[in-house]
Amino acid sequence: MKQLRGHILRTAFAVVGVTALLATSACSMNVKNQASGPSDGSLLVAADNGSPTFEKNFNPFSTSKRVATTYMYEPLRVTNTLDGTATPFLATGNTLPDAKTVVYDIRTGVKWSDGTAFTPADVLYTFNLVKATPALDTWGVWQHIESLEVVGDTVVFHLKTEDVPAASIIDQQLIVPEHIWKDVKDPVTWKNEKPVTTGPFVLDTFTANQYTLKKNVDYWQADKVAVEKLVLPAANSQLDVVKNGYDWAYAFITDVEGTWVNADKQHNKYWFPPGGTITLSPNLTRAPYNDVNFRQGLSLALDREKIATDAEQGYVDAAGQSGLLLPNQEAWLNADLPNEGVVAQDKTAALAAFAKAGYTQQGDKMVDASGTQLSINILTANGYTDWLQGLQTVQSQLGALGIDVKLSQPQPAAYTEALSKGDFDIAMNSFGGTGSVFQDMNTLLNSEFATPIGTGTTGNYGRFSDPKVDALLAQLKASTDETEQKAISAQLQTVLYEQLPVISMFYGGLWGLSSDKNFTNWPSEKNAYAPPNTWNSTPLLILTNLKKAK
Amino acid sequence: MRYTLSKVGLLLLTLWAAVTLNFLLPRLMPGSPADAAIAKLAQNGPVSPSTRAAIEAQLGVPTGSAWDQYLQYLNNVVHFDFGVSYTFFPQSVASLVATALPWTLVLVGFVTIVAFIFGTLLGVLAAWKRGSWLDTLPTVGGTFASAFPYFWTALLLLFFLGYVAGWFPTSGAYSSSATPDFSVAFLLDALYHSILPATTILITSLGGWILGMRSTMINTLGDDYVTFAEANGLHPRTVAIRYAARNAILPNLTSFGLALGGVVGGSLLVERVFNYPGVGYLLYTAVVNQDFPLMQALFLIITISVLLANFIVDILYGILDPRTRR
Repeated sequence: MKQLRGHILRTAFAVVGVTALLATSACSMNVKNQASGPSDGSLLVAADNGSPTFEKNFNPFSTSKRVATTYMYEPLRVTNTLDGTATPFLATGNTLPDAKTVVYDIRTGVKWSDGTAFTPADVLYTFNLVKATPALDTWGVWQHIESLEVVGDTVVFHLKTEDVPAASIIDQQLIVPEHIWKDVKDPVTWKNEKPVTTGPFVLDTFTANQYTLKKNVDYWQADKVAVEKLVLPAANSQLDVVKNGYDWAYAFITDVEGTWVNADKQHNKYWFPPGGTITLSPNLTRAPYNDVNFRQGLSLALDREKIATDAEQGYVDAAGQSGLLLPNQEAWLNADLPNEGVVAQDKTAALAAFAKAGYTQQGDKMVDASGTQLSINILTANGYTDWLQGLQTVQSQLGALGIDVKLSQPQPAAYTEALSKGDFDIAMNSFGGTGSVFQDMNTLLNSEFATPIGTGTTGNYGRFSDPKVDALLAQLKASTDETEQKAISAQLQTVLYEQLPVISMFYGGLWGLSSDKNFTNWPSEKNAYAPPNTWNSTPLLILTNLKKAK
Repeated sequence: MRYTLSKVGLLLLTLWAAVTLNFLLPRLMPGSPADAAIAKLAQNGPVSPSTRAAIEAQLGVPTGSAWDQYLQYLNNVVHFDFGVSYTFFPQSVASLVATALPWTLVLVGFVTIVAFIFGTLLGVLAAWKRGSWLDTLPTVGGTFASAFPYFWTALLLLFFLGYVAGWFPTSGAYSSSATPDFSVAFLLDALYHSILPATTILITSLGGWILGMRSTMINTLGDDYVTFAEANGLHPRTVAIRYAARNAILPNLTSFGLALGGVVGGSLLVERVFNYPGVGYLLYTAVVNQDFPLMQALFLIITISVLLANFIVDILYGILDPRTRR
């Protein structure tokens, strides 16, 4: 059965591959472009894929909710995950009187889409609902909050510890109306088929193949919303995206110039900013991976530019050892890191580092003291073809030094399990991209996540553990001063650069495709006000910034 | 009577074994549903640690000893209660299957019957007119077409007839704006959407029926009673249809029974390529997402229908061929 399953999956991936191939040849085949006519204010977006059809679920707490649920419900603030700047939504702003308290000024004059007034009581209710039902706490807000109270037009959060970055998590909680949700029997399984929301859009029509949202005319910043109607089809194959004149899509398309751009050279644009760092994460509880010299050797042996190009067709940059997403987080970069933290390939230095770790080249093989060839096993997930291509380049680059590299590729679920239990030599994995330097570093380095091998964890999969780093993280967590935060972050970057708890390879791209035929002012490299992804709350930034094309 | 009873006994035994295996298999797969859900989220970017706890709390983890779980499962199976799907949480498995099943039954079932009838007739013709173009064309054509993998034929049709020519819809079972009902307009719409997937299945399955029928038919044609019928001066068509084909069709009928049983499983790859909302696509989604409840229900339905088809063929054989009854 397992074999059959593998077979089915392999075949299925072959199907996807062939589709991609066909998509590539589409440019030369001159596929009919059925781009829509004059703009009627509607925006066609490939954001939500049915499997293959849609189930009606607009519960903002559910992980299988319809993607556009987050275009209707609003959080307190929306953070641009690229650089960490926050834009106020249901709160007009927040202040931190001390590192243990966050005060949110709640926006007044906002109405729910059924006409009821939105009040700070709704915020209080939402957080208490999440507390009473831990299954709803997808952001983990109650790991940070001790209690909260309404004071006039503000909501005051008392935190468990000195925890400045907690605000960036509280920000993201989608707020639901108390007058509707108080009568819901089981908020975990409720499908919320008629969402009552505060956001720029409300549900218009829904069928199993497509749903549409229309502009909320009573929206508190309705003047900023140029889109009258959002159309979300269930089928968004790459061929559809190229052919059907989409305004906005999130898709990795092979040869984007020849396919997407070629379909409408004048209007179709793409932008692939970094959304996370793809790394090799060594298991620091196993020898020889616990030896920093060994990790230096690995790091110096890699030509990251080539790996990035091979994995993502040159659409993303090689990543440095700073742990930051550059250029967007440039303001946080430690200026002392050579070459912005990017490690260049240096085979001589790599051999020297390996020698310090006890491995020398004998003939064309890298061997240990007993003469056995060094053999390492890298874990990745089956079906992540881009990662696999990157790994094959790693394999050949390490192979050139005489290291035998084996790749193991279990199914995604088994990969996640192996990662969480620490059952690997080196795992390919990604981190970062929350927009908060603290969250990124904390999840990666805090020894709190370094559970014993065999016990699952949710971060720091390599089990890095250093009391000094924990102390730095605690300091960063308690600091309210940005200059101080930057200084601490710089020290953490040095740790990443020198101790190599993970070996950064390249950035994971956010594959944003947009057309300025009907709407302009899409986020771009020059105007990076939001990441181009279609899920979570950042699309609210895009939908309140788009302008009608003239 | 004893024959039928023993077959019923065998059916019950295999059913129990299938149901039990169905309980065990998903539990032997590595990774939990929460792992699968996180792996899916992780494709969009790193997943925050707290998300995992919430996902686990939402999906719920099976409780009790393995034995208790097994008894609970048997009880649920008897009541057709398969619980809640992990992928489509909080949708119930029964409702998902109920939505997908009709599409597959109509599409794959109809095409299987058409392919069987056409294929068998063509096979008879090919064997009867051996060596003529009526033989070479279906035989070579059928072999050629059935040598193509399903999904490849599907992709070719999809690309050339769907995208390049734009004659047919490229995905789904009906138009985006339509809502399923029994109006003429909707049925026509659904029919239009089913042309490409149906053609794919027809093209690739026709060959098997032709070749199977042709070879058994050629065997029977060499038998004495056919020669005798011919010598008696019977009309050639009577000899071909009522003497040779009637006997030659038995093995094809067996595979037809099994094929009908397999219809319920849908046509995974064809449904996947055309985004057809049938059982095959549902099974694919369930497997990819480690959706145990959904997988169990689908495997069970597929197993039961194949077993039943087998059982019916067995009983039919007992009636048609007295020798098997001993």
